[in-house]
Amino acid sequence: MNNFTIKFIIAFLLLIPLQGLVFNHIVLFNVAVPMVFIYLVIMLPVTLGTNLSVLLGFLSGLAVDIFSDTPGVNALSCTVLSFVRKPVFHLYVSIDDDLAGRSPSTRTMGVPAFSKYLFTMVLLYCLMVFTIEAFQFVNIQLTILRTVASTLYTFVLIFAIDCLTLRRREKKL
Amino acid sequence: MGELLNFFVKNSKWFVFAIFVVISCMLLFNGNPYQQHVFFTSAGRMASSVYRTGSNVTSYFNLREINDDLNRQNAMLQQEIVGLREQIEDFREKSFTDTLVPDKGVEHFDFIVAHVINNSISKPYNYLTINKGSKDGVRSELGVIDRNGVVGIVSNVGPNSARVISLLNPNFRLSCKIKRSDSFGSLVWDGKDPRQALLEELPRHTVFQPGDTVVTSGYSAVFPAGLPVGVVLEDDVDHNQNFFTLKVLLFADFTTLGNVQVVVNNYREELEALKAGEDRTDKAKKLGL
Repeated sequence: MNNFTIKFIIAFLLLIPLQGLVFNHIVLFNVAVPMVFIYLVIMLPVTLGTNLSVLLGFLSGLAVDIFSDTPGVNALSCTVLSFVRKPVFHLYVSIDDDLAGRSPSTRTMGVPAFSKYLFTMVLLYCLMVFTIEAFQFVNIQLTILRTVASTLYTFVLIFAIDCLTLRRREKKL
Repeated sequence: MGELLNFFVKNSKWFVFAIFVVISCMLLFNGNPYQQHVFFTSAGRMASSVYRTGSNVTSYFNLREINDDLNRQNAMLQQEIVGLREQIEDFREKSFTDTLVPDKGVEHFDFIVAHVINNSISKPYNYLTINKGSKDGVRSELGVIDRNGVVGIVSNVGPNSARVISLLNPNFRLSCKIKRSDSFGSLVWDGKDPRQALLEELPRHTVFQPGDTVVTSGYSAVFPAGLPVGVVLEDDVDHNQNFFTLKVLLFADFTTLGNVQVVVNNYREELEALKAGEDRTDKAKKLGL
């Protein structure tokens, strides 16, 4: 748990400014937005209590909202995402005894299960963010396009980050 | 009592979830960008210091284009100076016979030079952050321009940074006119293309052609009249309606914003006092006083 706290704080301090400085500016074709910071919610250990994970999710979303001037959009989506995290996880993995206190990743879950988990979470998140945006602008085609493109883009980037952290840890061992 | 407590502990995750959803929704549906607390915007201390650090690196990226633009503008200004000098000579000659009142329009507006430290163009509501705040004289509701044209209007001001509502934000309507015919409408972004906006509410009898320049009207106290905004792109006109709507190609390139100027109107208080007086007399008339 203590190990996780340090890891989360480092990831938070890295990913939130990166989201504001880099990822918000590498939008592809003006439709695909990389929401890489939701890795903060995805990496929460499955055994972590829902109360704490909802709090951490809300704080992450709020921080990104402050950086990108979208009051409430990411905070609301992140809160919901961290609330449904456990049910989504159990769609693909039934027993979590092995995973006590460990973050979901390709190493702890295996590539197929983690990919499915990651894809579902990213899709849910993009769906929420762009649906909230659609309340302000009604343009169904653009909303669907943005959701699909952003989901794929974010999925690839988070998968890459997961692979990077994996390699570093293996080298240490 | 014990059972009640037990109930809360047992279902605590639903309560925690509901609390955060309510807080988020409160942030989400607080529609007025002027009423947000400065901490929750990119002009807050935390976000602006991060953006400041980032912009120390990225501000070098577009220097070549900025230089080109500045050279072009220099040439234009040089031309203008020559023209004005000639005029001054003319007036000097006349002033021997005539006592001219000096033109006070020059000190009407002050300009504060600022640097853009954060900018977005792909969201439905876009904002940018500049590195000048209340310490430098920036206040809420001041206009922001760059070397090519109008950029936006200041909404929230921190001590060392300010958040600007971009022209690419439907919350911001800019009063504009077509330079050739002087007919005015209001410019608003439709959320599609960061290079284009719509000029709405033009009266039906307006004469225009694609390629006509659109400038600020100067009817508000925010921007001086005649600042360039864009060119008319096509006459995408729905003839069934009472007003025309034109597509406008914006001059300001929002993808490479670097240095901008904040426009300070020195007569603003005077204008506002006048307007407040007007409103009061209107109200009095309505009440039959």
